[in-house]
Amino acid sequence: MNLGEIIQSVFTLTLLYSTIRISISILFAGMGEMITERSGVLNIGVEGVMLLGAWAAAIASYFANNAWIGLLAAAGIGVVIGLVYAFIVVTHRAVQAITGLAIFLLSSGLTGFLLQIIFEHGGNSPRVPTLPMIHLGFLENVPVLGQIFNDQSVLMYPALLLPLILYFVFYYTPWGTWLRAAGENPKALAVVGVNPITVRYFAIVAGCLLAGVGGAYLSISQTSLFSENMVAGRGFIALSAVIFGNVKPRGVFMACMFFAFMDALQITLQAVVPAGVLPRELFMSLPYVLTLLILAGFIKRSGGPADIGNPYEKESR
Amino acid sequence: MKKIKEFALKQEQLFTTIIAVILAFAVVALLLAITGRHPGQAFYYLIKGSFGDTYNFSNTMSRVIPLAIAGTAFLLGAKASVFNVGIEGQLLLGALASAIVGYIVQLPKAIHLPLMLLAGCAAGGLYALIPAWLKTYRKVNEILSTIMLNYPAFHFTHYMVTKVLPIEGVVPATPFIEETARFRMIIPDTRLHGGFYVMILVAVLAYLLLQKTSIGYEMRAVGMNKEAARFHGIPVEKRMVLAFFLSGAIAGLAGAVEVAGLHYRFLDQFSPGYGYDSITVAMVGLLNPFGVIISGMMFGALKTGILDMAVYTEIPRQLVTLINGIVVLFIAGKSIIGKGYQKLVEDKEIESEKHVPAKDTKKEVSK
Repeated sequence: MNLGEIIQSVFTLTLLYSTIRISISILFAGMGEMITERSGVLNIGVEGVMLLGAWAAAIASYFANNAWIGLLAAAGIGVVIGLVYAFIVVTHRAVQAITGLAIFLLSSGLTGFLLQIIFEHGGNSPRVPTLPMIHLGFLENVPVLGQIFNDQSVLMYPALLLPLILYFVFYYTPWGTWLRAAGENPKALAVVGVNPITVRYFAIVAGCLLAGVGGAYLSISQTSLFSENMVAGRGFIALSAVIFGNVKPRGVFMACMFFAFMDALQITLQAVVPAGVLPRELFMSLPYVLTLLILAGFIKRSGGPADIGNPYEKESR
Repeated sequence: MKKIKEFALKQEQLFTTIIAVILAFAVVALLLAITGRHPGQAFYYLIKGSFGDTYNFSNTMSRVIPLAIAGTAFLLGAKASVFNVGIEGQLLLGALASAIVGYIVQLPKAIHLPLMLLAGCAAGGLYALIPAWLKTYRKVNEILSTIMLNYPAFHFTHYMVTKVLPIEGVVPATPFIEETARFRMIIPDTRLHGGFYVMILVAVLAYLLLQKTSIGYEMRAVGMNKEAARFHGIPVEKRMVLAFFLSGAIAGLAGAVEVAGLHYRFLDQFSPGYGYDSITVAMVGLLNPFGVIISGMMFGALKTGILDMAVYTEIPRQLVTLINGIVVLFIAGKSIIGKGYQKLVEDKEIESEKHVPAKDTKKEVSK
C-alpha cells in the first residue's frame, strides 16, 4: 500500500464520524472540569470520576435493564464523589492535587473490587442495555452532515449543546459572574454577599456530575459493557483540554474536538498502516505524546482563574 | 522548648496518619461487611498470609523492596513539591534498560551488577527529565504530564519485548540476565534477595541528602515555599529538575532491582502497579525515608497476604488496590503532605501555629 492510498483511506467522512463519537465523553468531562476550574478548584481526579460513572452506569443499566437508569446512576455517583471531594478540599482545605489523585487511585480499586464481588469474575461486566442511537430521517439526505452526525448516541446532542449553554451561563447570567468571581477573587465575592464556598461546592458537584455522565457514555453507549480501567486516560486528556482551552467554553470546546480528532486519527491509522511499517504501540502512545507536546508548545497562562488551586479561607472573626 | 514543640508537631503527624490508616481500614471492613464478606476472616488471612511463617514473611519482605524504593522515589520529588506520578513508567523503563545491560554484556560481578542498576537509574532519571522540563520551563502541571507519560512507557516496553528484542520461552520477556548481574538470596529458597540492602542504602542516602546536605536543604526549601526560596537565592528551577531526576532515577532503580533480584529478566507487565502504590507508601510513610520502609512493610504485607486471602475466602484480590485508594483519600483529607513540609521550615513556630488549629476548623464546619 503506498502513501497516497493510505492517506485516501484515512481521511474519510468516517474519520469525522469517529471524531464526534470519541469527543462526547471528553466534552462532558472537559466541560465539567471547566466549570470546576473556573470556580478556582482543580480536580485532577476527573479520570476517576469518569471511571466510577462508567461503572455505575453499567451496573445500574444491567440490573434495571434500562440504560436511562444507568445514566441516572452515573450522574448520581458523580454528585456523591463531588460532595466528598468538595468536603475535603473546600471545607477542609486539603491539597487539591493529592485529593484528586486519591480519587483517581480509589476509583480503579473500587470499581475492580465491586465488579468482582457482583459478577464473580474480574475484567469485564456482562453486556448491558445501551442508550439509543439517533437516526434522523431528514439528515439522511444531507450529504456530509448526515454521515457525520446521524447514528450517533443520543448523548451527542447534550454534549454538543453544552459548550453553547455554558457560554451563555458564564457570560450572561449572575451564576456565571459568581462562578468566575469565585475563581478570580473569592474575597470580593464574599463582600457582595455570595459565599464562595457554596459556589465552589456547586461547581465541583456540577463538574463531577458531567464527568460521571462522560464516563457513562463509554460503558452504556460507545460500548455496551464496563471493563476495568476503560477510561484509559480520557480524563487526563479532558484536563489537558481545559488547560489548552484557557478554561473558556469556546477554547475548551475546540481543544476537546481537537483531541478527539487526534484519537480518531490514531485509531484509523492503526487499522490502515501495516503493523510492519509502523508499530501499533506508536499510534497508541500518540494521543498522550501529542497532548503533552501541545501543552508544552501552545500553553497560554493568561486565561485561567487567578485563584486556582488555593483554598478559600475566611477572615478570622 | 523549641525541641519539644518540634517533637510534638512530629508526633501529631504520626498520630493523624495512624488514625487515617485505621479509619481507612475501618471503611474497608465496613465495605466487606456490606458486600456480605467477613472482615475478621479477611484480616486474619491477610496477616497469616503475610507474616505467618518464614516463607510468607520473606515473601512480604521481597515485596517491600520495590515498594519502599519506589516510595523513596516519590518522596524525593514531593519534598521539592514535585509530584511524580510517573514512577510506574520510569520503573518500567529502568527495568527494561537494566535487563538489557544484564543480558547483553559479559562482565565480572563487581562491575556487572552495579552497572546494570545504574542503567536502570539512568533510564528512569532521563525519562523524568521530560516532565521536569515541562513543569519548570513550560508550566505544565506535572501530575498531568507524568501520568500521561506512563502510557508511552508502557507501550514502548511492550513493543520492545514483543517485537524487537529476542524472546526466550513463551511469555513476552527479554532473555535471562547473566549470573553476574543477579542478586543473591539472603535466605535460601525464598524470594528475599540482596535488593533488600539496596533498599536500606537508598533510604540512608535519601535521608543524608535531604537532611545533611545544602542541596537537600534547598530542595526542601523549594518544596516549602518557592517564592521564599527564590528570594533567598536558591535556584528553584534547577532544584526542581534535580528532584525530578533523582525521583525518576530511584524509580528506575526500583525496576532494576526487581529484575536483578526476582525475575532475572524484563517480564512484560511485571509491575502490579508499584509506581502507583509508591504514592500511598510515601504518604503513609510521612515522606520520611525510614517511614517509607515501615509503610512499605504494611503494603508489602497486604500484597502478599491477599494471595492467601483470595484462596481461602471469597474476597477478590482487587481489595489491595481498593485499600490503597481509601488510605490515600484519608491521608489527603488529613493534609499530611502539607504538614510534612512544615516541620522542615526554618520558622517552625509560625508555620505550626497555622496548621495545628486544623481541628478547630473542623468543629467550626460541623456546627
